[in-house]
Amino acid sequence: MKNLDRRSFLKVAAAGVSASTLGASQVKGAEIKLDENRIGVLVDTAVCVGCRLCEWACRTAHHLPTDALETYADDSVFKEFRRPDKTALTVVNEFENEKNPLLPIHVKTQCMHCEKPACVSACIVGALTKNQDGSVVWDGDKCIGCRYCMVACQFQIPTYDYDVSIDPQIRKCDFCEDRRKEGLLPACVNICPNEALIFGKRCDVLKIAKERIKRKPEVYVNHIYGENEIGGTSWMYIASKDFDKLKMATLGSSPAPGISEAIQHGIFAYFVPPVTLYTLLGTFMWVLKRRKEKSPEEIGDTKKEVIEEKKDEKGEEL
Amino acid sequence: MKKILIVTVIVTIAGFITASDSFLQPKLQLHKTESQKQNSESDNPHNLSPELKKALNCKSCHACEYPTPGNPCLLDCPRGSMISVYHSPKEGPEIVLINEMSENYGGVVFSHRLHAEMSEMTTGCEGCHHYNTTGPILSCKGCHENKRMRENVAIPDLKAAYHRQCLTCHKQWSYENGCNTQCHLQKGSDIDVRREQAINKIKGRSHPLLPEPTKMIWETNYEEGKIVTFFHDEHFQVFKIKCNSCHKNDNCIKCHEKKENVDFTKPVKIKKTFDDHHMPCVNCHDGNSCKKCHREGEMSPFNHGKSTGWALSGFHSRLGCADCHGNSMPYKRLDRNCTSCHKNFVKGTFNHSRTGLILSEAHLEAECENCHINKDFSKAPQCASCHDDKSFPKDLPGKRNR
Repeated sequence: MKNLDRRSFLKVAAAGVSASTLGASQVKGAEIKLDENRIGVLVDTAVCVGCRLCEWACRTAHHLPTDALETYADDSVFKEFRRPDKTALTVVNEFENEKNPLLPIHVKTQCMHCEKPACVSACIVGALTKNQDGSVVWDGDKCIGCRYCMVACQFQIPTYDYDVSIDPQIRKCDFCEDRRKEGLLPACVNICPNEALIFGKRCDVLKIAKERIKRKPEVYVNHIYGENEIGGTSWMYIASKDFDKLKMATLGSSPAPGISEAIQHGIFAYFVPPVTLYTLLGTFMWVLKRRKEKSPEEIGDTKKEVIEEKKDEKGEEL
Repeated sequence: MKKILIVTVIVTIAGFITASDSFLQPKLQLHKTESQKQNSESDNPHNLSPELKKALNCKSCHACEYPTPGNPCLLDCPRGSMISVYHSPKEGPEIVLINEMSENYGGVVFSHRLHAEMSEMTTGCEGCHHYNTTGPILSCKGCHENKRMRENVAIPDLKAAYHRQCLTCHKQWSYENGCNTQCHLQKGSDIDVRREQAINKIKGRSHPLLPEPTKMIWETNYEEGKIVTFFHDEHFQVFKIKCNSCHKNDNCIKCHEKKENVDFTKPVKIKKTFDDHHMPCVNCHDGNSCKKCHREGEMSPFNHGKSTGWALSGFHSRLGCADCHGNSMPYKRLDRNCTSCHKNFVKGTFNHSRTGLILSEAHLEAECENCHINKDFSKAPQCASCHDDKSFPKDLPGKRNR
């Protein structure tokens, strides 16, 4: 009887897996179609002077606490490498310029707004969405605080309010969604004195990047970071130094949510988890019930045998 | 509407004057300032000086094979190679007041002449006025739009254009010490007084002359030819090479900006690649072997007589190298035949007394070839074609005058 039970269990499991793969192929087809004129920003690190005005503008635009503008001229913050955190959605870091030590290289870091964002695919409740205009935004009402997005992000961008117990927030650059709705430029782009941040259509800024590298091959490394990295990003960088030396991760061109997304979305599609769970529970209960119906005689028999055996042993001894 | 009218008029005039060239006019208006628009056909970029006509071809300005009025496909700036007229710092304005974006600040008083004098040694005018055609020098706002949100983001906006010019050198400036004290006037009731003060501070000032190094000696890591000697003074004074042909990429902060823990009496140690070290020399000395510079010991200064066996004297010593050797590098070797350069040295026009010998009347009648066999002036003259018993220099065909 036990063998038969196992067989039936395997049958159910196989049905579950096939359902999940079926779901996966369907999910892939339902990917969001990006706008041809989707937005992008080119960060020209050869033009950035590290004034950190973008940091101030970003904090102000997102109502985050900030010190006075004058304090941002203090370049002692460059002593250690910083990452965006819950107090700053963007930070600027300084790197050595071997060609001219007096003119160090500055690199701004923020959410890259990936073309195929891993955070969106990792989010199990759909709190993160990739918009048609290219931006990746977070919805606090849907978020359950699982922090899967933080693990999934290749650029380590989403941050979390660890010290807030009630309604902690996931924070990351939202491409100044609110400002853009009002017809304004993102705060950082707007304030940059050198226009090191060029905001426009992704295809246009990509063209500008290529043109700049072509025109000044002695200045730029022939690499547009973000053109192809993990399937491309909305924010792209050009620089006078190799990107791995600017602490920017070396990434392949295949999107991060590939197979994993297909499997994961497949698993969660079409009520597969509850159906599988209840099927498993049902099977388990059914097996237990069958065992209970049989057990009283069987268990009684074995007990009698054991007692008899013990009696025999004792009899021999005696 | 007025502008459109003026543009139309210009196009028509240009069309009548240069029928073949006129079709390229319309789009060029984009790059002109207000004052230029009032000028007529003198601004036509196709009215080039003869030298420039030689130096440029269609591809120097147009990217495509067949430019049309609708699509002249002009190349992107900078077009430094097109600049043909060079101005001295004195020709430019002494002070430029920048007021275009004074919502936040009270404007900027810019010491234009001082900066022009500094950049004369490095990038020249085109370092800042990087897009300039054959016409008058354009200001920043001639091309850069005063608007961050705009259609063509390939060209930086005016705010960025100004800041990029300043901050490439003044990168270490902070608000309290630099931006707000050296450049931007702060708003306030006494702004006019402060502006006046800023102007007076700059007025009449000029950049002090830079002490020019004479001889520089480097010890290299190579086993053979360890020592490299460079005669800085010679390159400038004797070879007449302009400062900016070597110092083009020098940054002013090499001398001017102070950062903590940087001793400015010592030159900044800049990590240079093999190319960085050699490019300034190779630009001209492309055909020379390494041994030209890399020697076992210190080199002696250049001496035309020693190096070529032809000591320069009289008129020749006053000439620049390029006057005889041309502009192409390395210099071409010349023969010692006078007529190779002096094509006009023929009987009747040549004053023989310049060579140090006044010909007697009888000898003035003779042809050059009679004494200078095959017109080879480098060899001693022969008397044998006329005289059996005479020989130079024992016998002279006249009198020596020096």
